[in-house]
This record gives sequence, C-alpha cells and structure tokens, in this order.
Amino acid sequence: VIYDIRHVTTYSYESPVSFARCSLRLEPRSGDGQQLVSHGVDIRPRPADRTIRHDFFGTHTESVLIETAHRNLRIDSRSRVSVSRRAPARAAPSPAWECVRDVAFESTSLGPESPIGYVFASPLVPVQQPVTLYAAMSFPPGSGILAGAVDLMHRIRTEFKYDPKATVISTPLNEVFEKRHGVCQDFAHVMIAGLRGLGLPAAYVSGYLRTIPPPGKPRLQGADATHAWVSLWCGVAIGWIGFDPTNDILVENDHIVLAVGRDFSDVSPVDGIIVGSRKQKLAVAVDVLLVE
Amino acid sequence: MAGHAGQGSGHGSGHGNGQGSKARPGNRRVAQWTRGYARLPGIPDEYIAQDGTPRAVWTRFFDAFAELTPADIERRFGLADRHLREAGVSYRAPGETADRLWPLSHLPLLIGEADWQQLTAGIVQRAQLLELVLSDLYGEGRLVAENAVPAAAIAGSTEYLRSVCGIEPPGGRYLNMYAADVGRGPDGRWWVLGDRTQAPSGAGYALENRLVLSRAFTTLYKSMNVERVAPFFEAFRDALRASSDRDEPRIGLLTPGIFSETYFEHATLARYLGFLLVEGDDLAVSGDRIHIRTVAGLKRLDVLLRRVDSNSLDPLELDASSQLGVPGLIDVIRKNGVVVANMPGSGVMEARALLGFLPSLSRRFFGEDLKMPHIATWWCGQKSAREEVLSRLDQVAIEGAYGRGVPGFGKGPVLAGELSASERERLKTAISDRGFDYVGQELVRLSTTPVWDNGRITPRPFVLRVFAAATRGGWTMMPGGFCRIADQLDARAVSMGDGARAADVWVVSDKAVSTATLLPSGDTVRIRRIAGWVPSRAADNLFWLGRYLERAEATLRLVRALGTQRDPGKGAATVPHSVERIQRLLVTWGAVSQATRAQPAKVAVEALQSEDKFGSALSLVRAAQRTATSLRERLSPDAWQVITEMTERLAQEVDDDDGVIVAAELTLQELASFAGLAQENMNRAAGWRFLEMGRRAERAINTMRFARQFAYDEAGGEDLDILLTLVDCQITYRSRYLVGPLLAPVRDLVVLDPYNPRSVAFQVFALNDHIASLPTLKEGGLIERPHRLAVALQATLTTAEAAALDTKSLFALEQDLLNLADAIGSHYFPHGPNASRPEKLTGLA
Repeated sequence: VIYDIRHVTTYSYESPVSFARCSLRLEPRSGDGQQLVSHGVDIRPRPADRTIRHDFFGTHTESVLIETAHRNLRIDSRSRVSVSRRAPARAAPSPAWECVRDVAFESTSLGPESPIGYVFASPLVPVQQPVTLYAAMSFPPGSGILAGAVDLMHRIRTEFKYDPKATVISTPLNEVFEKRHGVCQDFAHVMIAGLRGLGLPAAYVSGYLRTIPPPGKPRLQGADATHAWVSLWCGVAIGWIGFDPTNDILVENDHIVLAVGRDFSDVSPVDGIIVGSRKQKLAVAVDVLLVE
Repeated sequence: MAGHAGQGSGHGSGHGNGQGSKARPGNRRVAQWTRGYARLPGIPDEYIAQDGTPRAVWTRFFDAFAELTPADIERRFGLADRHLREAGVSYRAPGETADRLWPLSHLPLLIGEADWQQLTAGIVQRAQLLELVLSDLYGEGRLVAENAVPAAAIAGSTEYLRSVCGIEPPGGRYLNMYAADVGRGPDGRWWVLGDRTQAPSGAGYALENRLVLSRAFTTLYKSMNVERVAPFFEAFRDALRASSDRDEPRIGLLTPGIFSETYFEHATLARYLGFLLVEGDDLAVSGDRIHIRTVAGLKRLDVLLRRVDSNSLDPLELDASSQLGVPGLIDVIRKNGVVVANMPGSGVMEARALLGFLPSLSRRFFGEDLKMPHIATWWCGQKSAREEVLSRLDQVAIEGAYGRGVPGFGKGPVLAGELSASERERLKTAISDRGFDYVGQELVRLSTTPVWDNGRITPRPFVLRVFAAATRGGWTMMPGGFCRIADQLDARAVSMGDGARAADVWVVSDKAVSTATLLPSGDTVRIRRIAGWVPSRAADNLFWLGRYLERAEATLRLVRALGTQRDPGKGAATVPHSVERIQRLLVTWGAVSQATRAQPAKVAVEALQSEDKFGSALSLVRAAQRTATSLRERLSPDAWQVITEMTERLAQEVDDDDGVIVAAELTLQELASFAGLAQENMNRAAGWRFLEMGRRAERAINTMRFARQFAYDEAGGEDLDILLTLVDCQITYRSRYLVGPLLAPVRDLVVLDPYNPRSVAFQVFALNDHIASLPTLKEGGLIERPHRLAVALQATLTTAEAAALDTKSLFALEQDLLNLADAIGSHYFPHGPNASRPEKLTGLA
C-alpha cells in the first residue's frame, strides 16, 4: 500500500521568540517492509540554516536554526511511503523468551540494530520491579516470546484506560503504571519497561496510522496524531516485530514507521529550544491518506 | 632502628646530625609516639612496615616534627585551620545547602620515591589503556566485535553516549585528566579501587591542602624534599592550550554553579590555571563554535574543561531536562568547533563491569600485564562470575555494575552478611535475574596511616586519589594527591560525606627537589595586559556586589546617625523631627518594619541585624556574600575574608545603643577596607570597573535620597547637620563656610560639587568615565543608552545652580540616576538573572 502523509506541527507563543534551534525527525525511514517515495518539510518562518545528518539510530535528523523573531512556528511535513509488511500470526510458534534474552546478551555489536542497546533502562523508561512483575505474568518459564508479548500487549490494552487528558509528556512511568491510564506513548513505555525488566530487547517506534480504516474495520485509536508502539527483538530467526499495545494489534500495513529508538526521547519528531516566550501552545495535525 | 635514615634532611630545620641527638627530647617523643601507635592486626600500615620497622620517610618526618615543641605544633595546626576557614575552603555534602568547612588531617600522608615510581608506572599504563579502549568503543568498535569486551558491559552504562559515537574528539583524545582511587592492599602493593574518567574532582583540594600545610610547616616542608605539585598543573594547562588550533586559546572551566558540592574547587582551579569560570548560561552556540557572553559581546571559546557530567552537557542531544549545559554543544564538537576535556562519554570507563576485562585488554594492546592490580571484581553479567559471587556472597561486597547505586538496594556497597535473611534472599534473586546490573568485589582492608590525635598518633585507613594529565610528553602524574582518611577503623566507605578528613600527600624524594617552576621563559610568551573580557554574568555579579556593599554602608550610616541623635533619657515622646526622618528612610529601604517604628529603642537594632528584613545591614552584607560566592575566582582571599568578618560581626547579637554604634562603626571600617583592597589590588582589566560602577551608581542614588530627605525646601539647621554627617562632609563644610549649615551651600556640596568624593556629581562623573572606557557593542556609531544618560546627567549637574534646586528637581535627578543604573544593567548584562533563558519546546504527547 502507498500512503500520503501530512504532518503539521504548529507552535504559538505568547510573546515573540527571537531564536529557535530545533531537531526534526520527520522523514519516515526506509527498510523493514517500508519504502520512502518522497519527502519534504516546509518551515515558517524560513530558517537561517538547515543541516541534515543521520543520528545513531539511523534516523534522518534535520537541525534547523531560526533567527527571525516570530510568534508562530509552523512545520509542514509531507511524505509518500509504500508499505508492504507481513506480521506473524498471533499464535505463531517462537523460541522460548529466556533463550532470546540469553542470545541478546551474547551480542557482539553496539550498533543501532543490536538488541543489546534495548535491554537496559533508558532516559524515559526506568526498570522497576512492579512493572517487571506485571510483565512476568505473561511470560511463564519456557513460553514462546511471541505468545508472551501478545499476551502482555493484550493485557495493557484491556487493563489500561486510553485517556488523552490523563498524562503529559513529563508524566513519569510509575504514575502511568499505578493509575493504569495514558496515551499510546505511555502504553509503549510501560510495555517496554516490562519487557526490559525481563531482560528482553524492546525498542520504541514513532510513526503514523492510516486515518480511514479498511471497509468493515474500526478506526484505530491515535490515527489523528503521531502514534507510538513497541518493537521487540524475537531472536535471530524472527528479528524485530512490532506490537501496538494501544490497539492490541501486531504491526503490519496500517502502520508507517517514522523513527526507532530506546524511548520517546530518542525519536521525538520535533525537539528544540527557543529563547523568548514564557507560554507556548502546540498543535499537531496528522493526515494519512491511502493512495493505492 | 629509628635512626636518621635518608641523607641530608637539609638545613634550617634545626635538625642536629650525629649520634649525640639520642638524648634530645624530640627523640624521646618520637619513641613515645611510636610506642603508643597501635597498628591493626593483619593490616599493612604506612608508618610501620610489615616487619615492625618504621619506614625511612616517616622516620625522617617524625624526627624533624619532634623538633617542634608541643605548643608550637598546636599553634601551627591552628594556623592551618585558620587559613582554611578564612580562605573559605569548603565543600557541600550531597543534599545540604550550606557549605561545610574543610576538615584537614594535620599530618600529611608520606610516600617514598620508590613506592611512588611503582604507583606512577601503574597509573600511566592504565591511563594509556583506558584512552585506547575509549577510542575503540566510540570509534571502530573492534573490541566489542571481537568479544574482547562484552557489548552488554558497555550498553548498560548511562555514560555510553550514543550521540558521541563516531565523532573524532577535537583535540585528538578522550582523556585529558585521569584519576584513580588507590589503596595499599594486604599484600603491601598499591591497588586501584576505581577509575575516574568523567570529570575527576579533588585536584584543586589537593592544591589547597598543600598550600595550607606547607605554609604552616615551612621549614619542615622544605627539609623533607617534597616533590612540588605546581609543575603538574603547568603541564596540564600547557597541554589544554596546545589542544586547540588557536595560538592563544580562550579556555573555560564549566561548573554546574554555586550549588555544586565542589564549587569551591572549581573556583580555585579556574583562578590557579587562569581559566574563565563559566556556567552553561554564559555560553552560546553561534555558527559552528561555542562563544562566551561577555560585556564586549560574544567571544569565541576554544577549550572547555568540564566539571559538568556528560549527560547534562546538552539539552538538545542528551538529558533534555538539564539546565547546566549548552544547547547544541554536541553538534559543535561534531563539527570540531571546541575541545572538551574530558570528551563527553569518557565516563563509561568508570563502569565496574569493565574492570575484569582490563587485564586481557592490557595484554592485547601492550603485550604485557597490568603493572598495578585492581580490586578483584566479578561482573555478574557472565554466568561463571555470577555463580562465583553467589557461592561466596558473604566474602564480597556487591556494587552496581555501571553507576553509583546498587539497583534495588540504594547506595553501595551492599554487604550480604549485614542484610536480614529476607533482604539477603532478595539480593540473591536480583543477582540471579538481572546479574548484569551487579558486580561482586573482593572485600579488602586497606592500609592505615598516622593521624594526629591530641598529642598522640593513631592509625586510620585511607583512600588516595591520584591524578594524571595527558601532556605533550605523555602522561604526567601529580606528585601527591588527594587523600581521604576515615574516622572509623572500617575503611569500606571513605567518602567526604561520612565524617572523613582530607590530608595532604607528600611524595618525598631522597635528593633535594628542584624548586624552579616550569613557567615558560620570558621570550616564549607574548606579553599581554588584558586578561580577556569579563563574562556578562561575572560583570553583573560584580556590579551587584558593589551595589550591595554600598547600600549596606548607607544603612549603617543611618543606624549610626540614629544612635547618636537619639537621647535615651528623654524617651519616645520627644522624638526629634530629624530622627523621625531617619526612621522613615529605614522603613522605606526595608531595613525596619512599620511596626517597629513605634519602639524607637528597637529601630537601630532591627536595621542593623534583622534576619528577615531584606534591607537590614546584615541582609545586605549577606547578599553581598552570596554574590561574592559566585565570584570566588576573581576576589582575593583578603577581600573574601573581609566579607566573612562583616557577616559574622553583624550576626552577633547586640542589645544596647552603644553596642549598635560600635558594631556599625566597625563594620563601616571593614567596608572601607574592602573598598581599599578593591582599589589597590584589583586588576583594572578584570571586572574592577563593574564593581566600581555598582558602587558609584548606588552611592549616587543613596546620596540623592539623603539630600531629598534632609535638604528639602524647608529644611532647618538640624536636618542639614545630619545630612552633612551622613555624607561625611562636616569638615569640608566647616572649612569652607564660617556660618552654620544653610540650604544652598549644603545642596551644592552634597549634590553638585564635582570635587567632593561623596557628592552625587562626583559619582556621575566617575560613572561617565567608566562607561566611556567600556567597549561599544553595536555598530553604527550611535552613542549607547547608558552613555547617553550619563552624559546628560553630567551636563545637568555641571550646569545646575544650587540656589535653583528644589525638592522637585532633586526627585527628578533621583529618577534619572535610577534609570541610568537600569540602563547599565540591561545593556551590559542582557543575560543576567532576569533575562530570558533558552527553554525547551513542548514535546508531543
């Protein structure tokens, strides 16, 4: 399938901002059943400088410098992506999770693809015993890793309440876990924390969902904004598999991957610092249209 | 056996040579000390070797030490303590807000030459090894690929910075300064207990300890042939200088600020090495470079010696919540725009998980074993090591594999033997489930060294931190170090927070040491007179230091005037009009509360030393002290001492009018001596102007307020008399006019007379001169706002006639002065405390 994606981020400031330095991670990645066809970002006011590099995780990162005073910053990103991905069946056979863990720890690479980079705590995902114990209930000794992850994902979907008003970006993981509510980002973080507590390599994925579901299927939660889910390394043979705990589905052709990292802090689509405003308002609009 | 070992312990120590000295009281005392020195069984000691004989260096030391009389020894110890107190040598224990005084153990730790060479060889080899490992980890990655280092032993460390991977470190190296904690193990050899590769602290304290002890025991110090530490710092500075591609690079020492536990050390080092002490807010990224905000605009910074941990260095690429860093710093490093020492990410080598792999890495890189052992460490991320640790859980200390704490168990080390049965089980489960988070370390009892204890010596365990710097000729060791001595006999956790003492470390040579400095000779250094432009924040602080002190002076003058005006015999009913006016000023200035005005007896005391009135003399002097704290590297120790004395004096309770007047008088004298020190000792290029401008601006404003209050249109002789006293002009007035105080002559003398150093006009003329000699920031040739206001005021005051002044025009002049002070602030310190700071963009939810 081919999608046209429009992702508009608008910041409105109470008082003029004289200076902004931003990092944009807005170009969808190619690979793993996904191909970027075209991409462009329009920024207003016009930046004084734009430089592009690929960060540690391979994400296309654009550094933007704005030196004109402004009250509104508008970042308009358009992409065309073709997706062709097959998820394993929920009940597909898979290696025991302990074996996957042990293999991950034998890793001899520190590169972005190596599972070893995703088994430890990261800035927004601490490893905490209550979350680990919660996850352990889905992983009886010797059980298959896919089955365990599917069960954990299902439990998060059913036991946590989706509530966009309940959390902000800075809500700590333990609060999300105790109160059992949050948004896609929180659910992804909780699932990752549980998996890492068990020593399993889990990455954070930011991306998009198709806006209008295929005929006869329900509209997915989180389709009008950027979405987030979990990628779990399931051993050498199976590799990385996407799990969407917000919708309790395995990632296939309805998901478009923007960036992969250890948690949100590695993949934040728009990040930066400004000088000059005490109050800021953020609006994000995402539209994912099926082209064919 | 306790004879004079070593040769020629030197001249001037009053140290006899020959056999006849056996009967001297000194020798008897040494023998007495030694008899009373109870070594701990089975633990090596620095003074007494394993075979029971004293080591030669210590014998030399105690023989010379015993030449001093007991009273002299105590006096010298007192001298050392006083120096530490007065210099304000301090540290802050984690979680505390007040500085603690530095507890110095009075006896140095002595290390002989042979011992030191062994230590040096081990440390230098280790520093070279760690540098090689770092450059592979962040570069090619062969060690991990070939399984010489398990990827998991690296990936678990928060100091492994992914954003630094693949960056060539500007300046060519990861480690510029390396420190190791060492101790002497049971086998008598030196052992490494831990590596410090992030931003090692302690070198500045070592320097201060040396200064104090060598001053208190000058002759003894000289006679012992102690290796000097100054050449080490010179070499380190030269190496940092050479690391930049500019000839005369600008070097900054990046501190987290005055709330850092080791801020004193940062200030000491910056002053000693001649670096600018900067905080993250002082720096800005512009183009592909780091710049420092100065009163002359942005100036390029070439080298940054950091005392801020890696993760806090850049909110854009690292910890987003950090307020200590510089947004965009990592990208500047990526573009080779600044040398940062040590390179961000170098802290990964502090992970204990790595210790066990260093011996084989040494063989891999050098084809030889490690010259110095480190404490045996088993990383539980490996099955065999995990089983080993679990099987002898009571014989090891459990520590975190990567960071400071032990995951799930708080601060390390955790001793299984001391845990309850259930906690012990929890520890075993944690190690079995997540072994990679833990290491087991051999429990080692470290050697002891003598400390002075009321005329006796007793053994105490210690940890020694040694420092090595990467210099042009390779790694250079600081001959000496930073020694922490435990107060208890159990040395398992010697940390400054736990009631430990610090000691100077003397590396004692058999031969006389060279006292020549390594300063480059005159013809290789370009003569410079300007020490570099003042950073905006320092200028801001200096300006306010001047203003606080001057405001304190004005308040004290009012208090003194009040004390002499009030006649205690007459009671409150006959409060003269002039006293009423003094009180009104004190209330307006926030020195006295409205309620206190009804109790005249209390007004002066409150204005002098109230804790909760922001305008009291005590509060103002304390504000000055706080401001001075962030200027430590720019103030002379004498100046700091004067400020400390003032705060101490004003905090002492006084109860009667006489006490108030005496305290005010003495504090006014101290203020005068601070002004004198600034005038005579402060380099004119190093911010002196801003201190002066603060003082002048504040004095002009206060004098104007005095004039308005006491030289109002209907003012009588009594009012004018007080005004002349307040501004110290009684003598001048009387020598000039043979009549009593009259309005127009007094107004002329106090406001308009440019020759009177206390007049408003004098302050404005001085301000004008200062502003004119400061750099202009904007192009276009237009006169800048502070200068324009100062010139206009000067013209007004020059052309005004005393007879034409009235209360209204005095008030207008006061407003002009306030505007001028504000204009100076917003023009030269646009990044001061009230300026807008960079803030994070809100993230997406």
